[in-house]
Amino acid sequence: MKFIARKPREGINVSDVHPLTEAGTLVFGLSVIFAAIVLVLVFFVDLVLTFVSSETEVRIFSTWIPDDLISTEADDVRESETRALVERLARHWPDSPYKFRLEVSASETPNAMALPGGLIIVTTALLDRVGTENELAFVLGHEFGHFRNRDHIRQLGRGVALGILFAALRFSKGGGSFGIGIADLTMRGFSRKQESDADSFGLEIVYAEYGHVDESWRFFDRMIRDDYGNSDLVTYFSTHPSGGDRIENLKFHARQHGWPLTGPTTPLTW
Amino acid sequence: MSIYFELFVNFGIPLLVLMVAYFVGNAIEKKHFREIRAREEKVHGFPVISFATLPPDWRVGSAELVTGSVVVSLDYFKRIIAGLRGLIGGRVKTYEPLLDRARREAVLRMTEDAKARGYDAVINVRLETSRLANARKDGRGTAGVEMLAFGTAITLT
Amino acid sequence: MSPESRYPIILSNTETIPGKQIAEFYGLVTGNTVRAKHIGRDIMAGFKNIVGGELKGYTELLQDSRREATERMVEQAQSMGANAVVNVRYATSSIAQGAAELFAYGTAVRVA
Repeated sequence: MKFIARKPREGINVSDVHPLTEAGTLVFGLSVIFAAIVLVLVFFVDLVLTFVSSETEVRIFSTWIPDDLISTEADDVRESETRALVERLARHWPDSPYKFRLEVSASETPNAMALPGGLIIVTTALLDRVGTENELAFVLGHEFGHFRNRDHIRQLGRGVALGILFAALRFSKGGGSFGIGIADLTMRGFSRKQESDADSFGLEIVYAEYGHVDESWRFFDRMIRDDYGNSDLVTYFSTHPSGGDRIENLKFHARQHGWPLTGPTTPLTW
Repeated sequence: MSIYFELFVNFGIPLLVLMVAYFVGNAIEKKHFREIRAREEKVHGFPVISFATLPPDWRVGSAELVTGSVVVSLDYFKRIIAGLRGLIGGRVKTYEPLLDRARREAVLRMTEDAKARGYDAVINVRLETSRLANARKDGRGTAGVEMLAFGTAITLT
Repeated sequence: MSPESRYPIILSNTETIPGKQIAEFYGLVTGNTVRAKHIGRDIMAGFKNIVGGELKGYTELLQDSRREATERMVEQAQSMGANAVVNVRYATSSIAQGAAELFAYGTAVRVA
């Protein structure tokens, strides 16, 4: 028994894979996997949705109002006027299964939402910013579009599905947030499509009411000038199509249908 | 505040840190491996074995416990990749070089110590690995990995 | 009749190979691998944890990884010209959230 000094071959305990190759494979592979998971979820939610009719939805949610809604004062003229406008606009969608309800929420961010049961919520900031009735009418018409395409309820279903996925992903730290990011971006692609579709319907409603679609794009115009940038990157990361593109799309859509782009506008009463 | 500034803070800075971590981390790893090979060459021929049965012709003079240890940590870039790997499972390739060099470093430190103090061999070597938890993240994160090598250094007469 | 061995060289966790003589010894050999479990297994194990019992997914994963660590150690021993590894020890340690290192080491020898 004697000692003979020898060394093992170098590199046996280290995989011969470049870290960048490993990074590339993982990033690409995981992106594909999570995008696919989201596609399946979206498909599944849409499938479930076909079993829940608008009538059922209206029955369940007919008097529902979110708990965290901060109402304005009861005699707010903006609220009553906007309610009247919703009534008028709803006449242009006679076969709607919804009986629309409007609530004004006190908030600093200009926003409008379509919620289950035909509930439309607009924020005070939005009402303060709009300049003409036509401009407001388009915003409301856009929400009608969400109701017609059932985006509001679809969004709810997707939210629940994504919530479950995200909860599962939080199990694994680090990598989990990457998965969440990819899933989120994929979902945003779907949201953008919904917004464009809702825009088209909003335009139709506005044309039916006023005989022209002037001022429809004013609100987006404001948003661009107010704060949002307009780069491609920002577009990609947002749920809504970028303001500039959206305005172009609106005008293009109107021209296609032969709806006049200009006409007499109606001032607001407040 | 400008949206570009926000984008830079949210995506640009982490990306920059990632790139710096990759290049610096890689350079450090290469340098460490070069160093280890050179030092291993120097102690080549010094018996380091994991059993205690000695050749009959070895006469042991004195014996003493020797240890060598090192705490290492993975660079940010490789840690991120390891995190991604955690989603689909499998071999965490980016960790292997780190553990390999840490273990060799620990054994080297033990061997160099024994040699410098006049011993002729280290027998009955044991190797241990332990994770140092990161206190900042409630102990869930990893602050580093400790490699420990210990054995009995002997002199031969 | 000799039993079929799983590895091309003899492995033992004793100081010597019973029935054989160590002719030469070469030094320390190591084998390691780091493995992460995937999230699906995590979730299944989470459910299984409620009722207890064997976590099959993890058992397989660790067996598989330990075999790889052993193979790497054997490869090191073979590259030194050894035909056996004696005093083999195994160690498992969690080195990061969700990643474990499986590690094997021993002394490469030539037996006759």
